[in-house]
Amino acid sequence: MASRLLFSSLRQVQKLQKACIHGRSRIGNREVVGFGYNGQYSYQDRVDFPMPAIRFKESTPDIVALREKEKGDWRKLTLEEKKALYRASFCLTFSEINAPTGEWKSIVGLACVFMSIGIWIVILEKLFVYKELPASFSEESKKAQLKRMIDLRVNPIEGIGSKYDYEKGEWKK
Amino acid sequence: MLRTAVCRFHSVVRSVAIQNVARTTSVLPSRLMSQHSTETDDEFDSRYEAYFNRQDIDGWEIRKAMNDLAGMDLVPEPKIVNAALRACRRVSDFALAVRFLETIKSKCGNRVQEIYPYILQEIRPTLDELGINTPEELGYDKPELALKNVYDM
Repeated sequence: MASRLLFSSLRQVQKLQKACIHGRSRIGNREVVGFGYNGQYSYQDRVDFPMPAIRFKESTPDIVALREKEKGDWRKLTLEEKKALYRASFCLTFSEINAPTGEWKSIVGLACVFMSIGIWIVILEKLFVYKELPASFSEESKKAQLKRMIDLRVNPIEGIGSKYDYEKGEWKK
Repeated sequence: MLRTAVCRFHSVVRSVAIQNVARTTSVLPSRLMSQHSTETDDEFDSRYEAYFNRQDIDGWEIRKAMNDLAGMDLVPEPKIVNAALRACRRVSDFALAVRFLETIKSKCGNRVQEIYPYILQEIRPTLDELGINTPEELGYDKPELALKNVYDM
């Protein structure tokens, strides 16, 4: 008795799991019309995979009536009915899928905002955080440094010493 | 079928090779690799036409073939499009026919000005016979409705 109860409850769980795996419990009474991307009952507008597994809208009475009419001659359908049929099956048309969203504007705008914040941080640090540059950065100090490097024949192969003509006492032409 | 044939061939080759290995050092080349498709374009077209022309085809199979065609590097020939539209008529799915025409237009890529009018001109009799409107006639060549972002709802 107990085992039978256990088995029957397990079977319920299994059924529920199956329904969840394929998403049957989430699609309402939408018609399943195909395999879809991976066997799950999902809807997505994709240009490279245009026919999803389920219809976009649930089967309301007026759509069901329209589907009955669809079984007849399509030339007798009005333009509004045809568009209603399309929108019952699909959410977006291709031109709507490919329509520009204008999202690039906010991306460019935000990028500019963050870059200007960075530039302001550098400016404010220059003004309020860093001390004056040391005396060795003055023009005379830098010239003296260069003179000393030449005298010491620094980097005679490829560097500064190789560009100086020591016999004539001037830079090589 | 192929597998058994390959296995049999392999065992034959192996026995021959083992016999010959004493005399020669060369071994018969046997490469186990897949073959490329040798289907010609005409065969491809007639295969898909026949697929769509099957009388008992259902919506699942139509969608499967259309999704496959949408994933291939080609624009379907007008005769395939005709057969597909007639298949949509048989399963009474108008939206599917219009969606397929949109797929064709999308498949034309950046040569839509050349290819799409040609296909429309070729399938025009079928469109008129079945009463299918092109996406342009339904006003779907330009965005009609905007979808609200799900994160803004």
